[in-house]
Amino acid sequence: MNTLLLMRLVIAHPIDFYFEIQNPRRIFWHQGFVLIALAFAIRMLSILMTGYAFETREPYEISWFYELVYILVPWLVYCIANWAVSAIMEGEGKFKEIFVGSAFALVPFILFSLPVTLLTNILSLEEADIVHTLTNLLFIWCGWLILIKIKILHDFELGKMLWIAVLTVISMAIVLFVGILLFGLINQFVSFVTDIFKEVRLRS
Amino acid sequence: MIRIIGLTLLAAVAMGLYDPAADAAIPYDGYTRSLGYGDVHSINGYVYMDSIDGYDLESGPFKEPQDLFAADDGTLYVADTGNNRIVRLTRDRRVLGVIGDNEGPGMLNEPKGVFVKKDGLVYVADTKNQRIAVFGAKGDYVKSFPAPKSRLLGETFTYSPSKVIVDKRDYMLVISEGNTQGLIQIDAKGEFKGFFGANHIGFSWERLFVKMVATEEQKSQLAVQKPMEFSNVAQDADGFVYTTTLATETNQIKRLSPVGVDTLNPGSEVRYGSRFEAGPFQMPSFVGISVSPEGFITALDLQSSKVFQYDKLGNLLFAFGGMGEQNGLFKTPATVAQLQEGVIAVVDKGRSRIDFFRTTPFADLVHEASALYVEGRYEEAQQMWNEVLKLNGNFAMAYHAIGKALYKAERYEEAMRYFKLAKVKGDYSTAFREYRKQYTREHFAWIALIAIALLAALRFGLPRLVRGLKKLADARGGDRDLEAAGPAVPAAGKGESV
Repeated sequence: MNTLLLMRLVIAHPIDFYFEIQNPRRIFWHQGFVLIALAFAIRMLSILMTGYAFETREPYEISWFYELVYILVPWLVYCIANWAVSAIMEGEGKFKEIFVGSAFALVPFILFSLPVTLLTNILSLEEADIVHTLTNLLFIWCGWLILIKIKILHDFELGKMLWIAVLTVISMAIVLFVGILLFGLINQFVSFVTDIFKEVRLRS
Repeated sequence: MIRIIGLTLLAAVAMGLYDPAADAAIPYDGYTRSLGYGDVHSINGYVYMDSIDGYDLESGPFKEPQDLFAADDGTLYVADTGNNRIVRLTRDRRVLGVIGDNEGPGMLNEPKGVFVKKDGLVYVADTKNQRIAVFGAKGDYVKSFPAPKSRLLGETFTYSPSKVIVDKRDYMLVISEGNTQGLIQIDAKGEFKGFFGANHIGFSWERLFVKMVATEEQKSQLAVQKPMEFSNVAQDADGFVYTTTLATETNQIKRLSPVGVDTLNPGSEVRYGSRFEAGPFQMPSFVGISVSPEGFITALDLQSSKVFQYDKLGNLLFAFGGMGEQNGLFKTPATVAQLQEGVIAVVDKGRSRIDFFRTTPFADLVHEASALYVEGRYEEAQQMWNEVLKLNGNFAMAYHAIGKALYKAERYEEAMRYFKLAKVKGDYSTAFREYRKQYTREHFAWIALIAIALLAALRFGLPRLVRGLKKLADARGGDRDLEAAGPAVPAAGKGESV
């Protein structure tokens, strides 16, 4: 219930919302996961419900796993990068606030992307601009919420907020790069160990 | 004893009935293109019929022939390049005569192209002699056009005419090997009249970057980027010029309008040729092209040695041939020609012979349906496309065509189903639009009612729901809210702080 109320607040009064969540015991860790799970569910539903003419991919080209990765990984990486950058730049936000607050920034997507998707079932391709505009508006809304979040949670002024946003994007790229590098190295290492294991077992 | 004789007789009769050519397996698989599925198997459209290599002709064997022209009356003109002559054959492949004198101005030197005008004049691209030679209908030498002279041709220009056609204005359109500026137009007096339909280099960020960064010295070290070279040219009954282009992955086949604009692939990048077989080659290189009176474009790709047939709109109909030694495959095919009765001839330079292919009944059906279809006579074609689908359910074009027929008959819902099968989203969407119109008209009362109900629900129901939610939350967690509200930021400053 608390989550629903907060969702309403972030839609209606985003600025109040981000002041509000700084209060103790107002938000919980699980809310972040619930919202991301919701966003993922909505994403899968809207893929299922897209009108035939608007589908750009064949069913076999869609994988639930990748859809999950495309939502989950950017979010986690954003949280880490934003927390790290703002911690260095004397931001006041706690990791929990960033973690849950950025998940709440997805609420417009969660609430309104399904109706927009349903529109694709009654619109033809000539009216596709309506759908594209609405989708873009949704994303702009989400981005706007994230910017407000950075500003209020860390108590920055406007210029610094934009600077932090840019830095966050850069550090996200770095985190992703290091992550992929580590993944590759660990992969190599694991296959090296298993190869040795196989070799020893076959020779003995 | 009688039984043995009977058996032998039976065997002899059976042997007589057995025709190895008719029974030989076709050495290539038929396939067609299907949106969203890639290339799918299909029934072969063309099968190998026979070939001529000249050994049983009185003119003797061919030697590396490189061009074939089929006149309207069925006469074949073979550019017998290696023998420095043009051989004229009748429809039933008897020698009519040989063009190319033993001495004098009518002597040919490796002619690579031949074209016959409606009035019977034979134009020969006399490659090594660097001229276009003209012969009369009986094979007598008439005149010749030497290399054109113009400042536009550039200083490094070398004339090596390999293919020639004559258009309705009596202009010769000549392909000169290695020339990248387009088809060379020469008028009836032999004067250079400019280039026609040149290929252009597209824009590339990489080239722009290099141009901005590189010094003069570095630029001179770089290979010069030149537009692509035409490899063959053909003309249809309406006077449109068809060309094939080498060394490009897209738009290798073009239909040039009288002003030199490509009307086959307007504003799009179409990949012609094979994607079916993986091989060492990056892209097909089309070397031959021919257009049937109905507008079917048949083009020959040297890399895969396959012949591809497209309809007037550029949809792949059939592919046949391939690389190999069997009948129906080629060694080094040079060009392709559409003959009468649907027969297609492929000139195989490597084997010094000409192979003939005939259509299968399936191809005849597809051709008939497709000819009606490209003319927009969808309803008449519909029955035939249904027949095509009975033979081959993979033929995606048929679904598309039937969909269009149904659309025209205002049966939009069925049309949508067929467009979905053909995976054409644009046409599906158009049909859907019409269907939506129809549906709304028929069910207007219900739709209006539902819309009003929805609006009412949004206007009155939603605020009540939200209020109810809030009340419920207040009742349950009021103490927490109260506690949290204490140290909250003052409400007054909130608005201005962003």
